Amino acid sequence: MSEQLPAPEFDAQNYARPNQNYICGNACEGKACRQGPDAKGRCGATADCKPVLKTKPGETKGRWICTRPGGECESGPLPDGSCCNPVPKCSPVPTLRLWRGRVTLAVIAASCALLLVILGNPPWRNNFISPGTISNPHSGAAFAALAITNHLNESCGACHVAGNSGPNGMVNVAMRADPGILDFEKIASASAANPTAIDESCLKCHAGRNFHQPSAPQISCAFCHAEHQGKMMAATTDANCSFCHGDAAKMNPITKNTVAPVIHHFADDHPQFRFITENLHDPDTLKFNHALHLTGPTIPKLAGGEKLDCAFCHQPDTAGAFMKPVEFEKNCRVCHSLQFDPQTPELQLPHGSVEFVSAFLRSLPKQYLNLAAQFGKDEDANVFVEKKLAGLRAQFGSGEDLEKRVFFSTSTTAPEISVGNVTGAARAIFPGCAYCHEVKNSSARAPEITRPIQTERWLVQAKFNHLKHTSVACAQCHDAVHSKDTADILLPAKEACVTCHSPRGGVADTCAECHTYHKPLVAAQ
Amino acid sequence: MKRFRRQFIFGLLALIAATVGALWLNAKYNALPNYAYLTGWALLAGMFVLTIYNVRKKLPFLPLGKSETWLQIHIYLGFFTTLLFLIHLNFRLPHGWFEAVLAWLFVLVSGSGFVGLFFSRVLPRRLATRGGEVIFEKIPALCHALKTEAETLALGSEAKSVVIAEFYTKRLAVFFSGPKNFWNHLAESRREVSGLLAELEDLRRFASEIEKEKISKLAALVRQKDGLDYHRALQLALRLWLFVHIPLTYGLLIFTALHIILVFGFSGGAR
Repeated sequence: MSEQLPAPEFDAQNYARPNQNYICGNACEGKACRQGPDAKGRCGATADCKPVLKTKPGETKGRWICTRPGGECESGPLPDGSCCNPVPKCSPVPTLRLWRGRVTLAVIAASCALLLVILGNPPWRNNFISPGTISNPHSGAAFAALAITNHLNESCGACHVAGNSGPNGMVNVAMRADPGILDFEKIASASAANPTAIDESCLKCHAGRNFHQPSAPQISCAFCHAEHQGKMMAATTDANCSFCHGDAAKMNPITKNTVAPVIHHFADDHPQFRFITENLHDPDTLKFNHALHLTGPTIPKLAGGEKLDCAFCHQPDTAGAFMKPVEFEKNCRVCHSLQFDPQTPELQLPHGSVEFVSAFLRSLPKQYLNLAAQFGKDEDANVFVEKKLAGLRAQFGSGEDLEKRVFFSTSTTAPEISVGNVTGAARAIFPGCAYCHEVKNSSARAPEITRPIQTERWLVQAKFNHLKHTSVACAQCHDAVHSKDTADILLPAKEACVTCHSPRGGVADTCAECHTYHKPLVAAQ
Repeated sequence: MKRFRRQFIFGLLALIAATVGALWLNAKYNALPNYAYLTGWALLAGMFVLTIYNVRKKLPFLPLGKSETWLQIHIYLGFFTTLLFLIHLNFRLPHGWFEAVLAWLFVLVSGSGFVGLFFSRVLPRRLATRGGEVIFEKIPALCHALKTEAETLALGSEAKSVVIAEFYTKRLAVFFSGPKNFWNHLAESRREVSGLLAELEDLRRFASEIEKEKISKLAALVRQKDGLDYHRALQLALRLWLFVHIPLTYGLLIFTALHIILVFGFSGGAR
């Protein structure tokens, strides 16, 4: 109770009225009038009192009596009944409370005006309400052109129905949204990946949603591709993949409980690569022995005295991601020259076509003649040609035998020959096409040579970039020094990748690091 | 005092429990598909309860509980709502213009609330250590009275001191003309008034006994005026933070309403 009492010096006659909108203009001088201003800030000062008319019994006119608090004044009311002491009018002063109210109204008005102006102007509106930068594929001139082609709005309206309308339209669309504004139960129980209405906008440009396994459930585009996250569309996370691949209930019906239906992390439960588990082989028919080329004692050194290594044959492509195909002319001929005549190193067989080789052999007199002309042999050209052909006949027999030997021989040694100043049995300069290739005999036509298959990509569902792996030696992933057979697929096992791509290795090990969702699932053939 | 301490401890424990609970729920359910919707509605509910405290103050005749209880709820819920705001943002900065404005409004409203709480806890104690109770609305009248008294003392017909009159005209007239040294008083600095009093004391060297007496009286008036300025500055600070807190609250509510419309109008389910 004591708390409610006024302070000892409280002057009840001079109450400040801070809860009212205005105070007396004379208050700052300590001369506030008793009435004070009204709620609208009008000065309420009139006079010291409001005289009352008192009429005694028998009187007709009556008499004005002063009602001033503290006693009647000396002069008394004027004859017309007004007080003789009028109080001068003041200019009431707004209180802090009123100023606060005015600032509040100003902020409300400014907010409404600002929003109306911005929302009423489509270019401003789109920039203002966008929750973040749109990715490059969904913005810019190229997207605008595509939108026009597909009869779409070039801006927000391309994806959002509400983007085609003004403030009223936005409210209408918001009210029709599913789940609705007050549909709390549906909001709480919604499934993350279920396709939504906005996916229809995606499908206007991106035909179909069945990019993944045909048996995979339909999921919303926005589930993996969050827009408005910057110029680069936000990366798909493991959580997106785990939505299906981490859930046995979803995966078992699809995989029929086959190997590793549920995958959480690459290092843990990701299955071994299929080329290992299914014991796949390289289908190439070319006979190549990596181990021999890399470690064999008979392999000659290169021109600069360097040892033959992986990089001599396997060169990265322009992007550096993958390796260019090995080419005979660039990578093989330097050692495997197609010199069939031991005495004539200048004359070599063409490579790449059976018909060309056959034609070349059948036109040997002409080839020797050209050689004589080209190199300006001292002796008569015809004598030179005869001498060469005789040498061949002595060594290989008839032209037919020579042709047969060129195509089908796999001999690594030759009869006594002379290579440089070395004579005697030696390594064949050109053992024959069949030494490397699969050559099939065809009685009617020229022999058939199976064209080598160089598989560009083994794990077609996985991304890989050699450029990012230059700090790792080739042999660390590709066990070529132990491979003697072309059928060996010289790719690393999962464990080799896990060495780095795991939490322990410290290198990214997310699903999207290797896998691409939208690529068609094509097994390495 | 015991009751206040009990309320404080209870409120603090409730706030800590709510914070721990909210962070635990956030860690557990963060991956829910419409998690941002749920935290958004929770945040809006918190903002609604915070806002109706102002309505409660305007309807004192309704049996809605004690205003003191409402204030306690307002303070603790204010802290908790700030946490909800951070959870709703997923502890990230917003990117778009609209969302940035909305976030800044929330930051300014809650920030001004924290400043107001700080002021209401610190400034009254400081006021209590500096003279008796002074009613804010009466400070101008009291200052006016001091000014009149000082003018009479220095310039009145009985003054007869050129030195004092000149000093008053040059230095004291400005000091007595209105409120002074707002920021110095807030920072608890007395440098300005100490300088003024030192200058006044310097006059004593050339003053007669009568003038010395006047100088002493003037110094006393200067101290009284400084005390009133101190009260005015601190009491004004106790009121000014509401000029940010309340108006921006309404701005925040308007932007929040539009935010809800935009969220649903541009959501995946919008048709």
